[in-house]
Amino acid sequence: MSNKDLSLSESGNDGASALDSKDHSDGMKRAAAKQLIEAYYFQLTDGCGDTDCSNETCASSPSFRLQGHDKNELGLMSIELFKKRARLCENQRNKIARLPASDENSPSSASSSTSGVQETASNVSPREGLTVLSLTSHAGPSHVSGATPKMSPSTPTKSCDVNFLDEEKLSEIVESCRTAYDWSRLIKAIGSVFSNPESLVKSFQLKTDSKHKKEETVEAGMDPEKDIDSGEMESSQLQKIEKRIRQKLVNTDSDINVDLESLHRSYDILKDIPELPFQNALINALRTLSKTLDMDLRYTRQIENIPNYLNMFVIVLEIPFLHSPEYIESAFPDFCKSMGHLPLKGQAKLAKYWASLGPDKLRDMVLSLQQLITVKLIDGESRWNQGWNLNSEDAITGPIKVMKILYYASMYGGEVDSKLILQEEKQILESESQLQHEFLGASAMGHDFKEPRIIPEDPLAVELGVNHADCQKPLVQYEDFVNDTLNEYISVETDYKYKLESEDSPDKFSFANYSFVLNTASKQASLYMDNRIQMFKERRTSIFQTLIHGMPPMPYLRVRVSRERIIDDALVALEMVAMENPSDLRKQLFVEFDGEQGLDEGGVSKEFFQLIIEEIFNVDFGMFTYNSETHQFWFNSMSFENDGQFTLIGIVLGLAIYNSTIVDVHFPPVVYRKLVGKLGTFQDLSGVDPCLAKNLQEMLDYKDEDFDDVFMQSFQISYNDVFGSTITHSLKDNGENITVTQQNKKEFVDLYADFILNKSIEKQFRAFRRGFQMVTSESPLKTLFRPNEIELLICGSENFDFFALEEACEYDGGFDKHSTTIRHFWEIVHGFSEEQKRQLLQFTTGTDRVPVGGLAKLKLIIARNGPDSERLPTAHTCFNVLLLPDYENKSKLEERLLKAITYSKGFGML
Amino acid sequence: MAATRRLQKELGDIRKAGPACFRDINVDDTNILQWQGLILPTSDYYKHGAFKIQIDFPAEYPFKPPKITFKTKIYHPNIDEKGQVCLPIISAENWKPATKTDQVIQALVALVNEPEPEHPLRADLAEEFSKDKKKFQKNAVEFTKKFGEKRPPE
Repeated sequence: MSNKDLSLSESGNDGASALDSKDHSDGMKRAAAKQLIEAYYFQLTDGCGDTDCSNETCASSPSFRLQGHDKNELGLMSIELFKKRARLCENQRNKIARLPASDENSPSSASSSTSGVQETASNVSPREGLTVLSLTSHAGPSHVSGATPKMSPSTPTKSCDVNFLDEEKLSEIVESCRTAYDWSRLIKAIGSVFSNPESLVKSFQLKTDSKHKKEETVEAGMDPEKDIDSGEMESSQLQKIEKRIRQKLVNTDSDINVDLESLHRSYDILKDIPELPFQNALINALRTLSKTLDMDLRYTRQIENIPNYLNMFVIVLEIPFLHSPEYIESAFPDFCKSMGHLPLKGQAKLAKYWASLGPDKLRDMVLSLQQLITVKLIDGESRWNQGWNLNSEDAITGPIKVMKILYYASMYGGEVDSKLILQEEKQILESESQLQHEFLGASAMGHDFKEPRIIPEDPLAVELGVNHADCQKPLVQYEDFVNDTLNEYISVETDYKYKLESEDSPDKFSFANYSFVLNTASKQASLYMDNRIQMFKERRTSIFQTLIHGMPPMPYLRVRVSRERIIDDALVALEMVAMENPSDLRKQLFVEFDGEQGLDEGGVSKEFFQLIIEEIFNVDFGMFTYNSETHQFWFNSMSFENDGQFTLIGIVLGLAIYNSTIVDVHFPPVVYRKLVGKLGTFQDLSGVDPCLAKNLQEMLDYKDEDFDDVFMQSFQISYNDVFGSTITHSLKDNGENITVTQQNKKEFVDLYADFILNKSIEKQFRAFRRGFQMVTSESPLKTLFRPNEIELLICGSENFDFFALEEACEYDGGFDKHSTTIRHFWEIVHGFSEEQKRQLLQFTTGTDRVPVGGLAKLKLIIARNGPDSERLPTAHTCFNVLLLPDYENKSKLEERLLKAITYSKGFGML
Repeated sequence: MAATRRLQKELGDIRKAGPACFRDINVDDTNILQWQGLILPTSDYYKHGAFKIQIDFPAEYPFKPPKITFKTKIYHPNIDEKGQVCLPIISAENWKPATKTDQVIQALVALVNEPEPEHPLRADLAEEFSKDKKKFQKNAVEFTKKFGEKRPPE
């Protein structure tokens, strides 16, 4: 046998040298030729691993007819094939491309085989011979024959019946392959297991129940065998155990029972094999698997019947090589694509499972999907002109579908509002919508009552019971799901078309249904499209009505106001519409000022919004109070105004969004949370009253025993109304006689926050929200945007006009606007980034919010604080004073200033 | 009123202790949230007079800090012409709800006795204080004699 091998490689070399004679000068060419011939040879003996291969000269192909041939014959044939430049399978070609031409040491590294039942004992040996030969250059026959027979008896019997893999089996295979210098057994095992759903599911499972229980008990008392003996780092042990227990807990009630730890160790074993000879087999296996899955999940749906079928998705997505280019080429996206067809229940189970793995794992997975998407986008760029369409590009939509599972996993595992609060919110919403219905039912009489448009929630969100509004701290930040490159490429118009189509045919993919990958700008564009289309529909209906009922056409929401009585006029006009037919609010706004000729192309309504808002937010008007600390407005709980005014401002904000106008309102973030139906909680309080929030937190953190004596606080609180008189309120029955103690202080804080954020302004806010809802309830606003994005939508991003600040700035202590240091100061500051400007504002005024009316209203004072020195600039946040030593030059000023604003917070620099 | 219990106790404790530097405490029965009293500094700059201050407690006390204003004019780098004082212990950033008024007064008196020119409200006085202590002292003493309150008998 060894003779045969030798002669084969000899003949291979002969072929090469025959070629050589034609072209003596080119040694590189010769090496390449040799490799190509080898590739043809392996294709004849082992095949490419793809069982569907259509290449007749590939052993994997069903149409392969050369099974019975002798190795020598095949060797000669491979030379023939080379001369004819016959077809070479894809992955064989890959191999050639990947190996440097001069490298002669690893011809077998990337070849693969899956089938090859016909090749028994002999199939391993020829390659063996070849490998050794090339490794040792001109090794004698005795060496080769010594290595081969050892292998022959054990290999064939096992390699045929690998129907699943686990750590033990894998390491055994790898060991035997390593000693034999031949990886074909491993290649076969991986090829057959990873291409077959049944085998893959059976692989890397946790041990059977009896063993499983034993393990669990051992772990409870710190697993001595695995964790300590293996010499793990002490610190990571507890974490590990906790992780395993967590994993076990999940495993007991889910259908996923992959032994992750063992799986990782197994992949580590694979990673350690030099040159990763199994790569192509794995890639091809994954592609085959993906095809099978794709067909199955879409049509037959048999796979769901395999117990623990979800295992395979976990196993594949854990493969550590997925990021490498060979996988990104097609195996990884193909798999994602097939995974996108997973049934809802399966997705939910996977989401729950992944949520249990913790934030780091999840983030890694998200990042590798993002990488895949980005690579595919850049790849596809060249095809732009050939009708390349993102929405029907599986390599992009597939990973996004998988990312959706991760997105919900991230929320499912994140910090979600407490059940109690969620329940309360639900009740409030229900009672409100009931009111609304009665209201609508009565008011819509005489009009064609239209079924309200319902914006469906994502089914996976419903299945898992999660919602982005309820989860302020997901495991992976919301921003990590946004793909910037993708957002650059998306065409919102096209996407909207797909979205409309997706409502009827679920096969259509629209990014708007996967809005987590979109940034706020894209979402805004999508919302704008939706709003415009709705307006269009309303307009069409109204023309239709004219034809049928002979009513005058009302294609616009026409509002006529006089400048003097703008609030009253707007109130009456909009209230009429709201009473008669709220859907009219969703027509395009058309504002006219009395006695003025102006066609509203957007400019007039913009002015209208601005005037109304100025008026309504005027503190003297009494509807809102202004907090000079945060520069923001809050609802006046003592307002004498009727609900109508609050409804009006709600409608105005809704209209502003609906008509894509940015308005200058200053609300703390919690208002936008409340607008989507959330309740304010203690963690929102810092946006409304930072001082109160901070000190309540101080109280929560106070652990000493003299708590009762120090605070002497009861469940009764007091606050000042707008007129400055003190008002007392009991947070619960008989509150004035209940002392706040270490035990009940959390309750006190929650009740306090609830009072300020919800209870005290309940009436006002409900009216406000009702107005907002009238305009936006049928728009996808709530499903597309998180509360903080709604804020961005209404107010735009904060504009730091530092020139206005400079204009209004005053100087003290020897500085004036002509002082050198001052001139330098403004030069430096105008060159600051947005973030640095924000920090400077925070440093000097204690908040980075711009006051109403812009930065000019800040009244910043810059005071000279002595001559040049090493001191840092300091600030009196209470009076917006910045104390600046008269630094000797500009660069020192810049350096000191940056240091101060970066490392400190105004006070405490004494 | 919610803050009453704690303030009553704080007021009682201070009156009982009778600190030498804070005298003639005056609190209206109907409004415990506003205290007035006389500060008696001991440093050379101000020892010839007393200074009337007002402490305003917010309704949310102790979850918000009190405010202090000088009702008597004082020649001091850290106190401006309107009587506003920037006292770190009661700034929004540093305030702790467990801080007692007694501590606040101690901190105030310490600041009055020894000005902190590093962090001035009146840069001109701070510079004078740093550069020419003698001149500052002369001005401060004169100013105190002219505008300061009479010190109550020991």
